[in-house]
Amino acid sequence: MAKERVRLTKYDPGTFRGRFDVIVWIVFLAFFFLAGKLWFFQVIRGDELKLRSESNRIRFQEVRPLRGQVLDRDGNILVDNMPSFDVSMIPELAKNSRDVLERMTFLESERTDRWKRQLERNEDRKPFVPVRLERDVSWQNLALIESNAFHLPGVVVDVVPVRDYRFGEMAAHILGYVGEACCDETNGGSPEGYRPGDMVGKTGIEKMMDQELRGASGGEQIEVNVNGRKIRVLGVMPPRPGNTVVLTLRADLQRICWEAFREKAGSVVAMDPRDGSVLAMVSKPSYDPNLFNRGISGEAWRKLLEDPLCPLQNRPLLGLYPPGSLFKLVIAAAGLEEKAVTPEKKTFCTGSHVVGDRTFRCWNRDGHGSVDLRRAIVESCDVYFYELGEKLGVDTIAWYARMFGLGKRTEIGMPGEQEGLIPSREWKMRKLKEPWQIGETVSLSIGQGFILVTPIQLLRTYCAIGNGGVLFMPRTVDRIVSPGGETIRELPSEVERILPLDEGNRKFLLSALRDTVHGERGTGKALRELETLGVEACGKTGTAQVVKLGQEDQDLEKIPYKYRDHALFVSLAPYPNPEIAVMVVVEHGGGGGSVAAPIAREILMKYFKMKKDRVLPAGTEVRTSAGAGGAG
Amino acid sequence: MKVDRRLIVHFDWVLLGLVLLISMAGIVNLYSTGSGFAPSGAKTLYMKQLYWFCAGLGFMLVAAAVDYRFIVRNAYWIYGAIMLLLLLVMIYGNTVHGSQRWLSLGPVSLQPSEFAKIGLVLVLTRYITNNQAGEAYEIRNLLVPLGILFLPVVLIARQPDLGTALFLVIVAASMIFFIGVKRKTILLFASSGVVLLPILWFCLKDYQRERIFTFFNPERDPLGAGYHIIQSVIAIGSGGVLGKGFLKGTQSQLKFLPEQQTDFVFSVFAEEWGFLGALVLLALFLFLLQWGIKIARNSRDLAGTLIAFGVTAMMFWGVFINICMVLGVLPVVGIPLPFFSYGGSSMAAMMIGIGLLMNVSMRRYILQP
Repeated sequence: MAKERVRLTKYDPGTFRGRFDVIVWIVFLAFFFLAGKLWFFQVIRGDELKLRSESNRIRFQEVRPLRGQVLDRDGNILVDNMPSFDVSMIPELAKNSRDVLERMTFLESERTDRWKRQLERNEDRKPFVPVRLERDVSWQNLALIESNAFHLPGVVVDVVPVRDYRFGEMAAHILGYVGEACCDETNGGSPEGYRPGDMVGKTGIEKMMDQELRGASGGEQIEVNVNGRKIRVLGVMPPRPGNTVVLTLRADLQRICWEAFREKAGSVVAMDPRDGSVLAMVSKPSYDPNLFNRGISGEAWRKLLEDPLCPLQNRPLLGLYPPGSLFKLVIAAAGLEEKAVTPEKKTFCTGSHVVGDRTFRCWNRDGHGSVDLRRAIVESCDVYFYELGEKLGVDTIAWYARMFGLGKRTEIGMPGEQEGLIPSREWKMRKLKEPWQIGETVSLSIGQGFILVTPIQLLRTYCAIGNGGVLFMPRTVDRIVSPGGETIRELPSEVERILPLDEGNRKFLLSALRDTVHGERGTGKALRELETLGVEACGKTGTAQVVKLGQEDQDLEKIPYKYRDHALFVSLAPYPNPEIAVMVVVEHGGGGGSVAAPIAREILMKYFKMKKDRVLPAGTEVRTSAGAGGAG
Repeated sequence: MKVDRRLIVHFDWVLLGLVLLISMAGIVNLYSTGSGFAPSGAKTLYMKQLYWFCAGLGFMLVAAAVDYRFIVRNAYWIYGAIMLLLLLVMIYGNTVHGSQRWLSLGPVSLQPSEFAKIGLVLVLTRYITNNQAGEAYEIRNLLVPLGILFLPVVLIARQPDLGTALFLVIVAASMIFFIGVKRKTILLFASSGVVLLPILWFCLKDYQRERIFTFFNPERDPLGAGYHIIQSVIAIGSGGVLGKGFLKGTQSQLKFLPEQQTDFVFSVFAEEWGFLGALVLLALFLFLLQWGIKIARNSRDLAGTLIAFGVTAMMFWGVFINICMVLGVLPVVGIPLPFFSYGGSSMAAMMIGIGLLMNVSMRRYILQP
């Protein structure tokens, strides 16, 4: 410090004297130049430019395009445009605008009072400029105004297109909503070229496909007089409406999933395992995207934000849960591939497993007795997997989990997707600065502990086991269609990778999943009802612990909501070549088999009934599946 | 806390008076842009600007109160903090995409690139005071300043805000040239510039090239990109000698003039107040700049000189580039007119700059060489 101070003070102000003289002159000259330029424009060319400003009468007015539609795969409209009506008053035409408002006795007096205040606020404007009285007027009031139009000079109704989300809160999360462009979207020079006031997709498909949906503005050249009054339209460049986006979603299935899920919070996703197409995606609780159409009110927005159940969150992509027993399949696959276990290998389950000084319990406290791998999966025996997981070690488990698509984004393309977490030795050392404990491997073996995944990740993993081992990128958009109806481009399914899983092992695992539903003592027996339709299903239950409770087998109702277990269930059908996979997560719902599985049953029952009733177009049934040849 | 009485005695009232005059003219001018056909959002901008100015006075006092030698000693921290803000802008803008922020009207939004200008002046001051070669700079003295400059320029250019990025380069160059650079080095830079220019041209985005084309020939696309420049020149020229009068500028009131509150705010002023009004405003700016140079000249140490010079250079280039822009002399690059253009961050940064000038000015008798 002392050295610096010496340097700072050892200074001769004379050093720069000459330079300062030059700078003073440079600044003078620069200003002289500016003044000269101003003189040229304002004094010499002043009169000419003044004339030009008076005859400056051609103005460009933007005409906004209609946003594209969103359709489901069968062509049902999911999102459309609908007219919204604004009521304005042109004071000049009304002569006495207050009088005109008085005449609207058919409206509530507080509404006309509000309109009066709106007029007063805009009194300083030119009388031919319309003053907007109210946005988004109800049909009823509109009808009253229109039928009395003769007595209401100066009152005009403008039609403004807004989004119409036909399915309301039923498909809010996947479709998203729009809002006025703001903040970073309108920043100068933004390559997307949003301007303040433009409607832009804020989340979901609306955001993901915004470039397709938004279209391009057109314009009107209008002539105005000196006062700014529009005289006539000189030329029009029509706007280009947005393209139609056709989704892989099925509206009927979306409705079935929504209706089947009666619980408080959670999600359902249905996927076609053969190509990764998302058939339905429900997240609960939900919200009404139509609220955002003309700007959501501050109060409604606060209510959504402050709701402890986070209705805005798209749970299939953003919800992080321990996978619970659903993870056992990954352990089983790893065990088979690493030859740490064979399907015949038996373990004796006494109901608990001791590691060091800790005892890990099986969910069946009486023990399963002697179990092989198939029974361990079918009955979800924890002890079998404790031992297998211990044998594999945390890092092998982590490697397989990642190869199976867990703990990483699926790149579905929607905003905010979560990554999740697959713990490993290296991760724990880095994050928590503690070495890995063997007991943590044991917990990990049944999908508990640090591990966190999203429902869409789990679903994708199971789809890959069902379809012959192909891990697809989830696909939500099928194709883009021009407003004229021509297909502009198709978005084919993309393969992320092939699972490191031997075909024989895969078939074994899938058949074990079938036995989970149809076998003896299977945890997924809730789905056996599908047999009445001649369909065999695969399934796996999961119960993800939120906290470790001292006493087990407590009555669910007695546990505080936020400490209750999450109920998980994944299902694939029909066996052995599944065409639909359903993932159900019921947050804090309790047991997977008793809470989540019945929801999947209802969905699949309706799906296969519908399939029976529906006359399918030729070719649908023989649609090739990715390598799922003759399993079982 | 005991305050040195000499600080109060030597408070720079002239500087404060000039800034008050210019800012008030600016706010009155913003009021004008908000009347007439202006969208409802623009109506209250002048009030917001007034709030920012008051907040700016506070920032100014803080920037004036802390001994500038202390500030210079900690310049790298300030620089680091601003770089962090610039990085945050980049990351935040990418992941959140404002999907929900559009509703939170409450919190103020900051534009770190405006503060980067001040940060750059401070950090260059710090570098030069510690590395004064005693003679003109050569390439090896310039490597560190170039590095210091490179980071914010790249971050801001990526936003993308090419205008502000170039502005930083110009301010930094002013300071370096003030210290002095060897002729050989200048030649080297000039020749490499000639080589790099065509390469840069290919890196530009289409709309950026479009702007440059229209700058050279605005009539090329009179209703599109050239519209701004033509309308701006019409606005200024039609003001004539005496102007059309307050709130009576047809160009601005009828919305012919775009970006009235920011880039083209001077056009509104020149239209309504005419050549005489514009001259008075120019005179005020000129007075302010010469006063800044005087402060730089009278400083007792190199750090004070450099701070005062840097801040003055920053104001000079702001005024000069902006007015050249609206007169059609330079392409429209989005440089705000200091104290005039609407923008909270710009106002706050400028007021901090004034505070630093004041800081140097007040301490000229206290520091004994």
